[in-house]
Parts: sequence; structure tokens; C-alpha cells
Amino acid sequence: MTTLTSAARPRRLTGRLVVPKAGAIVLALILPIALVALWQASGTNGALFGGALPTPDRAWNAWVTWAFGPKGMGLNPYSGTWAESVVFSAIRVAKGFALAIVIGVPLGIAIGWWKLFAMVVDPTIQWLRPVPITAWLPISIAIFGISDFGSVFLITIGAFYPIVINTTHGTRDVEKNWIRAALMMGSSPFTVLRRVVLPAALPSIFTGLRIGLGIAWTAVIVSEMVAVKSGLGYVLWDAYYVGRMDIVIADMVSIGLLGYLSDFLIVRVEHWVLRWRRLQSFNA
Amino acid sequence: MGTVSMTGVSKVFGGPQGVRALDNVDVHLAEGEFMALLGPSGCGKSTLLNMVAGFEGLTEGAISFDGKSVVKPGPDRGVVFQEAALLPWLNVWQNVIFGPQVQGVPRSDYEPRAKEILRVVGLEAFHDALPAQLSGGMRQRVGIARALVMQPRALLMDEPFGALDAQTRLSMQQLLLDVWQTFKTTVLFVTHDIDEAILLADRVCIMTARPGRITRDIPITLPRPRSIDHLLTPDFVQFKAEIMAEMRGAH
Repeated sequence: MTTLTSAARPRRLTGRLVVPKAGAIVLALILPIALVALWQASGTNGALFGGALPTPDRAWNAWVTWAFGPKGMGLNPYSGTWAESVVFSAIRVAKGFALAIVIGVPLGIAIGWWKLFAMVVDPTIQWLRPVPITAWLPISIAIFGISDFGSVFLITIGAFYPIVINTTHGTRDVEKNWIRAALMMGSSPFTVLRRVVLPAALPSIFTGLRIGLGIAWTAVIVSEMVAVKSGLGYVLWDAYYVGRMDIVIADMVSIGLLGYLSDFLIVRVEHWVLRWRRLQSFNA
Repeated sequence: MGTVSMTGVSKVFGGPQGVRALDNVDVHLAEGEFMALLGPSGCGKSTLLNMVAGFEGLTEGAISFDGKSVVKPGPDRGVVFQEAALLPWLNVWQNVIFGPQVQGVPRSDYEPRAKEILRVVGLEAFHDALPAQLSGGMRQRVGIARALVMQPRALLMDEPFGALDAQTRLSMQQLLLDVWQTFKTTVLFVTHDIDEAILLADRVCIMTARPGRITRDIPITLPRPRSIDHLLTPDFVQFKAEIMAEMRGAH
């Protein structure tokens, strides 16, 4: 790590601030630590709002038991069960998200590429899109019952729209001369799609994936609250009913961290796949 | 092989009442001939090239390549684009072998040829570089290499050096002269640079705008092999004077 003296603080010619990585982490932590400290300090007898909201230390203790406590005989659902709840939710997100990619990316490319196909399919997608995933819940339960796939179905629907829309956009935006060059070099239309259009659309596709993943986490929590009996969403709602607000808080933080972690993973993959693009960009 | 013939070619953009970009153009390129299309921007010279490449359709007339009507792009006509138009996610080598690869040419066939061409254009050391890591001149060398590796019967070059600085442009012109001397393919070269047209071409066709038309067809009889030193010879200046007079008269 380089030590910085104020005289030799590196600034780019453009005048933008350059901060070393460790410094960036410190900067990022200031606000959350301050908020938690304020929250802790505002509580009396470990609670705020007349007992409705527990202080962070109580939520932390609840989480420790939830995560590492003895499982007992299943008498306390909030002891030693955190990991399995996380796994249930994460697997549902992974399945639903994967399904959304498998359907959304090819469909988006097809819509972006073939005008006729777009004219037939795109309006329907645009009409269905404003229907929020919550509105799909009754249908999902009616068809799939209280089952895992009901949840996966909702996640897929939620993640599908941003993926398909961004893929379409990326496909339509491909530079004309790249396609011409590929045709000139003897590519078949399918080769053009696979070797030019798909890679050229990847930056947009990744944008869609990131938005879609965020919606996937929303969808898993909503669906678990109603349509299945396991996972973080189920625990969240259940804990609320039995008045365990400390677990509710611990659950919310867990969801936030998982969402953050999965987004981080996507960004890492994107970073690696789109190396070529970083070299061209201003912020490289 | 490599003959191009355009007869009565017209192009109207935007329906029957639209803009007449090209009007009744007749040009024929013989095998191995280097022809420059010289004209101001907007005269339709790039449109003409795009039609020979098969990128655009024509409104009237006919274009044929080696006696066959042009219907679509293909590796027999290697196109060099203005800004190279390399695929930015592929490195130099992958860009150069893209053509033979997608055509299913066996690796043992194209690999030695691609290596040799990369050497000729002076990019051996940049085998693994991505286009974004190259200068404009180097990118255009890749653009030329990628066209040559397909062993096209004609090269169609659309202001390939237009975006380069003067010095790089000179070295690229020299490179093209050397390359052409080796490969002797038919070349259709679009430019708005008078010096470039005279230096490179066997024939300069001068175009005017609105509607795009060929007004003069001037054979350039400078001896070959040529080099950028020819830019200073009296013969060269003579051609330049003639062309400038023609272009001024047309306005």
C-alpha cells in the first residue's frame, strides 16, 4: 500500500479523485457505522418506538443464536437454522435467475435482430411487463401450489423483463460495420449472431442481469412470505407474527448482504468477460 | 479474376421522390487494377463501394464481380473500413483469422498465411493485443491483414487512412504500395485526398456530388513500384494540377 502525502496526492489530469482501495473501504464504512451507532444510542432498554424496533445489539445477539445456536429439537425455529434458510432462498434465486437468463437472452437477441419477430412478440411483453410480480402470486399458488417451483416461477418472471429488454437494446445497438465486416468475411447469419451480436450486446446484457438479480431477491422474499414454507422470506414474515423483531432485523440484513454478495459476483464476472471494454472506457 | 463492372448504376435514397445519390455511373475495373474514386464528401463514392461490397442495394443499373451479379457481401471482396471496424473483444490474431475461421478453412491452411501477412504489415509483436491497445494506424494494418488473409480477388477500401494523422498516413500509403506490389489484387480505393489517389492508383476517377457522377477517368502513368518519394516528382505534380483543375471546374 502506498502512503500518501498531501503534497503528492495523485490526481488524474481530469482532476478526478484517486483513492487507494483500503481508503475506499474506510470511506464506504463511515455512513453505515454512524447510522448503526445512532440507532443504538437512540434506544432505551434495547428498543425504540415503544419496543417496536430492537436496537442493533439485540438484533446481533438474535442473529448469533439463529446462526450458531443449538438446533435443539426444533422447538426454537430461530436457533441454528440461519444457514438452511439462506441456502433455500439462494437456491431459489439461482434457479429462477438462471431460467430468466436462458429464456430472456435468446429472446432479447431475437427481438433485437428480427423486426418481424419483434412486431409479433414485443408488444405482448410490454403489455405483461407492468403486471407486478406480487400480482402473479395468486395464479402461481393456484397452479403450482405451496411449492418450490411457485417461488422459482415468480423469480423468473421478475428477472426476465430487465434481461430481455436490455438484451434487445444491446442487440439493436450493435455497430453496423461490425456486422458488415463479419458478413464480408463469410459469416453465416447464425455466426454473426453468435460471434458478433452476442459479444457486442454483452455490456447491455450485464446491465440487465444486474437489475434482474436485484428483482430476483425481491421476488424470492415476497414469494417465500406467501407461497412456500422455508427460506429467509418465510422466516421474516413468521418472525413478525410471533413478535421477534430482532429476527426480522437480522433477516433483513442477511437479505441485504446476500443481494450485495450476488451482485458483487456478477460484477466480477462482468469485469472479466468485458476486459476489452474496460480498455476503451474513460474510467479504465 | 477480380474484375468489377458497374453499368448505369443509380442510387436513390428515400423512395421515388428521394435524393439521387448516384446517377448513371459506369466504371469497369480490370484484373489487378488499382482504381481510386476521388471526390468530395457526399458525392456517393462510399455508397458506390458499399454496393460493390454487397452491403447496399442499387436503384437502377447492374454491378457484377467476375461476371456474376453482386447480391451479398462475401470473402472474394475484402473490405477495409474507414475506422478499421475490428471486433474489439478479439485480439489482433483472432481478428485476422476470423474470416478463414468462420468459413471453415482448415487451420493448417490459414495459419502460416496469417502469420506471414501479420509479418508483412509489421504486427507480429502485437499478436495478442486488443484493438483498444493499438494506435489508429496499427488498427488499420489489422484491417488490411484481415482482408488479405482471405485471399480476396478484390480489395475495397473506404477512406482507410482518412482518420490518421499525416505522418501515419504516409507510412500506411507506403505499406499499401508494398503490399499491393506483392499481392497484385484488384483495388477499389475511395478517398478525398488527391495526393493519395495519384500516389496509389493506376486510374483516378473523379466524382462530383448531387447527383454523384463520374466526370473524369484519368490514367496515372507513374512508374511502378512506387514509393512516397513520388509525391515530389514533376510528373506527380503534373497529375495533381490536372486533377485540381478538373475538380475546381466541376464546382
